[in-house]
Formats: sequence, C-alpha cells, structure tokens
Amino acid sequence: MTLSAVTAEASAIIDARGLVRTYGDRRALDGFTLAVPPGSVFGLLGPNGSGKSTFVSMVAAMELPAEGSLLVFGERPAPGLRRRVGTMFQENAQDPLMGVSETLALAGRLFGMAGPRLRARSSELLEALGMAARRDDPVSSLSGGMRRRLEIARALLHEPELLLLDEPTTGIDVAERRALWDTVAGQAGAGRTVIVATNDLSEADLVCDRVAFVREGRVVAAGTPAELKRGLKREVIRVTWLSPSDAQLSELGRMAGTGQVTSDGDLVHITVDDAAAFVPRLFDVAPGAIRSVTIEPASLEDAYFRHVGHGTRAGEGVPV
Amino acid sequence: MTGLGAVSALFVRDLRGIIRSRSQLYSSIFTPLLFLVFLGNGVSEGLEPSTLPAGNFTAYLVAGAVVMTSVFSSTFSSASYYRDRDSGILRMFLVSPHQPRVILLGKSLAGVFIGSVQAIVVLLVAAPFVDFEWQHGVLGGLGLAIAAVVLLNLMLAGVAQALASRIQTMQGFHLVMNLALFPLLFLSGAFFPVDNLPMWLEVLARVNPLSYAVDALELSAYARGGAGFVGLGVDFAVLGGLSVAVYAAGFARLPKLTWSGQ
Repeated sequence: MTLSAVTAEASAIIDARGLVRTYGDRRALDGFTLAVPPGSVFGLLGPNGSGKSTFVSMVAAMELPAEGSLLVFGERPAPGLRRRVGTMFQENAQDPLMGVSETLALAGRLFGMAGPRLRARSSELLEALGMAARRDDPVSSLSGGMRRRLEIARALLHEPELLLLDEPTTGIDVAERRALWDTVAGQAGAGRTVIVATNDLSEADLVCDRVAFVREGRVVAAGTPAELKRGLKREVIRVTWLSPSDAQLSELGRMAGTGQVTSDGDLVHITVDDAAAFVPRLFDVAPGAIRSVTIEPASLEDAYFRHVGHGTRAGEGVPV
Repeated sequence: MTGLGAVSALFVRDLRGIIRSRSQLYSSIFTPLLFLVFLGNGVSEGLEPSTLPAGNFTAYLVAGAVVMTSVFSSTFSSASYYRDRDSGILRMFLVSPHQPRVILLGKSLAGVFIGSVQAIVVLLVAAPFVDFEWQHGVLGGLGLAIAAVVLLNLMLAGVAQALASRIQTMQGFHLVMNLALFPLLFLSGAFFPVDNLPMWLEVLARVNPLSYAVDALELSAYARGGAGFVGLGVDFAVLGGLSVAVYAAGFARLPKLTWSGQ
C-alpha cells in the first residue's frame, strides 16, 4: 500500500491527518498521516528521530500538534481518554526505590482501581509475565528485561483498548525480547489494538499485521508486511567479495532479473528474482574473489530500506 | 472518576518516599534544633535577655526554628518532582487520566503533611526546655500553633511545587528557593525582632509572608507583652489568604509538567 492509500478510514481507531510538531527549528512531525484499524498490531518503523515517539506521545495526549488533526476513538486526545489507552515508554516509568507490587498498586490507583480488583489484576499480570516470585522485590533489583515486563504489566493493568509501546525491547537480551514480543502478539488476540514503535524489523515482520515506515516526520509507506514486500525482488543475496569494482557491480545490475545492487567494502547486497540462476553468473563476473554467498527470501527489512532509504543501516552502500 | 483517588495515591506515595529518605527527615528536624541549642544559648549569654519579648533568645528562636523547619521541608519535598522526573516515574503520573494540577496537588499535600509534622515536632521538643507563657493555655496555644504551621506549609508547598514544575533543573530550583527564602527568613523575625528595625527593613518585614507565621507562632506560645507584630487575626488572615491564592493560581493556570524537557 502506498502513501495515497494511507488515508484516514472511518472505522480507524487512530485517524491522523497532516500532523505537524516542531521543537525549535526541528520538525519532529511534518505532515504525518496514518489510519490504524481496530484489533491490529500496528508497527511504526523508522530510524531514531524519525518522529515515532512524538506520534505515540500525541496519541497518549502528552503532546499537541501544531497543525493537522488527530482523532483517537473518534475523539481528540485528552487526559480522560487515557483510561482507554495503556502506554509503555522507551524509558521505564518506575521508581527504583519502590517495590514491584507497590508500583502496580500506584499505577492502578491512578486509573481508579482499588481493593480486590486491583490486587487480582496485578497478580494475574505478574503471573502471566513470569514475575510472581518477584512481587515484593524493589524495582532496583530487577534485570533490564524484568523492568520492561513490569512496564508492560503497568500499561496493561487497567485493561486498555489501545496499547502504545515505544521501543518495547530496548536494552534487553534475545530471550527476553522473544518473550516480550510473544506478549505483544498475545494482546491482539485479546481484542486490543497495539501500536509498536520499533527498530526491530525482523520481529515486527513476524508480529505486526500492518506496518508504517516513518521517515523525517512523515509516513512514507504503510500496509501489511506482505503488501510492502510486494514489488521487491523475490530473493536477497548477501555476498562477501574481495574488492568489487564499480564496473563489476554495474555489470551485475544490468543482468536480467536483478534489482538493487549495493555495496559497503567487501559486503555486497543484491536483490534478484531467481537466486539459483543468478549465483553462477556472479562467479563468472568475479572469478576467485567471492568468499561467501548467502541467499534469503526478501524481508520487511529490505522493504524498509527501499522506502526509508540507504545509509541508515551499517553495511549499506550507494545503490548502483 | 474524580481526582481524589489519584491525589490520595500520590500523597501516600510521596509520604512513603520521604519516610524512606531518613537523612532528609532527620536533618529537617535536627538542623533547627541545633540552631536553638547553639545559637540560642550562645546569643543569650551575650545579650541582655530582658530586651527580648520571650525573655531569652532560645525561647525567642523557637518560632523562627519552626518556620525554618517548614521552609526546609517544603523545599526538600518539592525537590521530589525532580527525583520523579529523573527516575522516570513522573511518566506514569503523566499518562494517567488526570490533569497535571491533580498530580501537583497530591504531591503538594504530602509536602504539607510532612512539613507540618516536622515543624510541630520541633515545637514539642523545644517547648519543655524554654519558658513559654502559653497565654491561650497549652492546648489553645498548641492548637493555634498547629493551625499557623499548616497554613504556612500549605503556602510554602504550593509555591515550591509551582516553581519546581516550571524550573528545568534541581540545581536551578534550589538556587531560586535559597535566593528567595533566606532573605525572607532573615526578615521574618525568625532570628531577631522586626518591630524596632529601620523603616525600610520594617516595610520589607511587613510585606514578607513569613513574618506573619513567626508572629502567629510567637503569639501562640508567649505574650510578647502585647499584640505582637500585627496580631493573631491579621496573621491568620494573611496566611490563609495567601494559601488560598497560591492554590487558586495553580489551579487556574495549568502547570507545565514534562518528562522530556522539550
């Protein structure tokens, strides 16, 4: 789906049109337009500083747009609307001197919960997130991953219809990341709409129903991962190649069925229709210089770099 | 849902935070008591006690020490805004379905409570060691003193929270508080009588809100041989009026609370 297809929909839970937000001379959002359908896990993907967090803050009624319109559940964001929204920030919203249960109790009371309902919901979430044994521990004693899980628990405590997750896997190890993404995926099953601002493209590819690529404060493409990958060459070949010349790379680019050829030193990234047919010709172009070849199906990451651009990922060179 | 549940949750949370910070708790009480012990006794020996309304400087300093306790306590309590911001928990407050004024009210009331308790503790610890007249009776005098202390702390905590929510750094906040509060303390009658000062200093003392707190506390504990600086009625009217004005202004103008500093 292209930008023109990202226009607001009547049934959208979030309907953003032409949002602008500036901090001094910097335009954090610059014509940000997006519609988020209900019940989806929606990924906001873009480099740091592209405006993802600012948009999340606006949806949570923490920031106001200088221009444009934003409707959440059909209303303009206001503090009262936060009863229907759970927000997990990029940085933890915790006091290290407080206990785990104490943190959830405070969060619950701020949302009007109290007594047995609050205790039951806290226990249920701590159990589901594998933190029941740590309920009486101070937050300062938790690992980075556990603190992120506590953040998820806090955001889910009042059973919001919309869950906003800003870089939920920042600073945690692989196993914790996997568990956290499983939790995120489970929320859509529970009927919630989830918005995830992340740089974790491979996980977003697996978990998100729909994604939007954000660049310099605006959405440059949005759709399902399959839609965004459509139009890409079918396969990606990553080659370790000793000193490729511009002439050799250009020759590869001219071959039938070849898409983009990019290089960074000895690493070359090529998109093709048919890797099996392409690889023998690669060895013809560079006899004796190829050290390794890896063939993968085209991924959301490839779609991301196509739309968001090169130079934002280590190892990417200038398109040939 | 009203904001009362949120105010009480924030009140309890800040109270726990202050109680956990034992050093802050103890220093707020012991610093004024040390003033009383050392400055009070030291200066009493070198002055003619009969020139002081309380008869001796230690007794005279008690009202000032109580006011000083409230001033320090409100400053320390309001600095919790910066700790909340730096630890990250302020974000939790800001994504709750409440206006920033509810958050500030909850935090402010915790400061009022702890500041009032600390100030009353200083008064109760000092009282047996000095010769108060208790012109309104002990219970009556204590009741008046507690009322004055609560009004004073309401006013101080309100001002301190409003400043904290508008000043970016804790260092800047302490600088502004010290710059404003020390001259106010000196010109309040906390350390020396203000009724025989040169005209320009007396004018400054009369426009100083802390003067009315010191006066109310002095008149609650001892007679000073008359109606005091301005009299209890004016003292309570000024303290009450200012407290109401501070919170009314805070509620009328939405405080700016951010976690990003942007």
